Amino acid sequence: MSQAGDIPVLKASVHDVRYLSALLRGVNFANRATVTVTEKGLVIVVEESRTLLGTAYIFSDAFDEFIYHAEAEAPEAQGSQRQQQTVNEELFSAFEIPLNIFLELLNIFGTAGGPATSKPGRFKAWRKPGDESEEHESDGGEGGGAQDEGSSNKKAKTGQFFGGGSERKTGMRLTYIGPGYPLTLIVAEDASGLTTTCEIATFDAEPHLELPFDSDQMMLKIILKSSWLRDALSELDPSCDKLTFIGNPSDVPDAGAHTARQRQRARMQAQPNFRIEATGTFGNTEMDYPNDRDVLESFECEAPVRFSYRFSHIARTIRALQTSVKTSLRIDNEGLLSLQFLMPSSTPRMNPVEVTSNFIEFRCLALEEDP
Amino acid sequence: MRFRAGVENVTTFFRIMQSVEKLQKKCIIKFTEENMQVICNNDANEGGIQVWSQIKIDSIFNNYRIQSNSNNEITVNLTCEALMGALRSVSTSSGTSNSASGSSYETDEVIIKLAKKNDQAVLNFEITGTTRVGRKVRIGHDVKIEVMKPADVVKLSEPMCPEPDIHVLLPSLQKIRTIVERLRSMSDVLAIRASQSGCLQLSINTESVKVDTEWKNCTIPQMMKERASQDDNADDPPPDPEHLFSVLVSVRSFLKFLSSHVVSTTTIACICQNHCLILYVYIGDVADAGGVLTFYIPAIIDDE
Repeated sequence: MSQAGDIPVLKASVHDVRYLSALLRGVNFANRATVTVTEKGLVIVVEESRTLLGTAYIFSDAFDEFIYHAEAEAPEAQGSQRQQQTVNEELFSAFEIPLNIFLELLNIFGTAGGPATSKPGRFKAWRKPGDESEEHESDGGEGGGAQDEGSSNKKAKTGQFFGGGSERKTGMRLTYIGPGYPLTLIVAEDASGLTTTCEIATFDAEPHLELPFDSDQMMLKIILKSSWLRDALSELDPSCDKLTFIGNPSDVPDAGAHTARQRQRARMQAQPNFRIEATGTFGNTEMDYPNDRDVLESFECEAPVRFSYRFSHIARTIRALQTSVKTSLRIDNEGLLSLQFLMPSSTPRMNPVEVTSNFIEFRCLALEEDP
Repeated sequence: MRFRAGVENVTTFFRIMQSVEKLQKKCIIKFTEENMQVICNNDANEGGIQVWSQIKIDSIFNNYRIQSNSNNEITVNLTCEALMGALRSVSTSSGTSNSASGSSYETDEVIIKLAKKNDQAVLNFEITGTTRVGRKVRIGHDVKIEVMKPADVVKLSEPMCPEPDIHVLLPSLQKIRTIVERLRSMSDVLAIRASQSGCLQLSINTESVKVDTEWKNCTIPQMMKERASQDDNADDPPPDPEHLFSVLVSVRSFLKFLSSHVVSTTTIACICQNHCLILYVYIGDVADAGGVLTFYIPAIIDDE
């Protein structure tokens, strides 16, 4: 351990913690999170019931400073103890941290924005009535064909993800010396010279559930604006216990259907392209999405698919969904669901030009159903 | 025994009760000729926190008259909630911001007096006001009280504390509260440290996490040094300005004190190492302080 002590494995800093905490909050549904550090950035993995896997990808350029120094080669004897391994010639270090404590500390001055991060495990209210209504308005405006403006508006829009917030920015610096050392977090407020130094105990990373998504076997792929999915999911009663995603290949409009009306009629008669069905004790809810470019930015479906998931698992994704900009929903032939949420990102001071977008991915196994 | 006064500053009175109410349901109020003392000294309090306050009569009351056989002092025991209820019916109407949504009258005068109704001692609040249309209204509130016997009053005594090791002017309590609220979920014990150089730290240290929040350049009131130099041991070597004096207190007790942010303008914390934390919450400007709430939070003695 001592030889690792000289150069920290990880040094990272940001000048505004809000984006980082929005990303982490999206996967804050279990207490323990595995953090994997590579040269490219941080990967934070959280799992639940060996069924749901939440992963936040935070790329190094989201930080103002990101220095990863691979751990020194461990002697053979300690090899198993060390988390350092070589996979595909890429070095990485992994450790576990209590994620909710980390988030609380990022928000210690109450400046990290968003709803409070306390009470782990308890699911937050679906939405805050206040900011939801604002969102609806802006969505309505854009839905009216302003598709292209969407991207240019994005920067301006991201501000509202943090509810306007205060102007005070909180910066932070992370240092991880190496295995056996705590993760040191320094949170500082810009103006007043107020600083918080935290040492969060780290634990050896346990192997995680592996849910590889086979894109060759992909049955359904949808990309849509997050608000379309969020509005649908937040309509549902929390007492639902099962959620089913149904996809049908889009019918190529008949050669005969030349007019718009004919096409529309054909569409009405056809199977719904994408349907979300919720089943609960008090009844069912069905929601259909038209295969319209205004709604579904892309829709790929080879054959009819129908897979069900436990609603409580899908509900875990809502917090990430709420902050995200765009959603990709994929299902493979075994029903493995992959939900990817594109998160708003800040413009770092270092290289404002090329920014890799940070995202959160959830993978969830389907419920086994009686045939 | 006679007592009668007009309440001039209802908002301050209400806020004082608001911060005291978090500690215990009942409190003792001692009216003397010069001041009003609000006391919470119940042993059953969480972590043994106590409040002893001195509020100048002028800052809340006018036309204040008091008479009693025991040195013109009256000590009563009452329920905070009931007193707040009476004050609320005034403050909602007199507060400019609430006047539109609140009750439909403007308060002209609030008189409190000691009275007896059906053999029950009460503190009678009489609120007179004018409605929008110019009619007079009168609202009466009786707050049940228990007048304490002089013999029991003598037994009330402030906690004895050694000379504090250091005084420090606290940053905004609101800000401290945000921080301490986050820490509450992680630890039960909070360390408060301060040094002569103006450094103030709030720390927790548990198995899973260690957090230090640090303010630099806090004001260290000079009165301490003067008093120290008057002491006999003035020839001690000058203390190291960086040395941190620390005290461990219960996070929950500290949060209860922080609820006094509604009334505070300036707060001075005094650390008596291994003994207690004393917090002076000044009401109004320090220059002409209308009063001071003193919180005593006993230290948690760490065995380590």
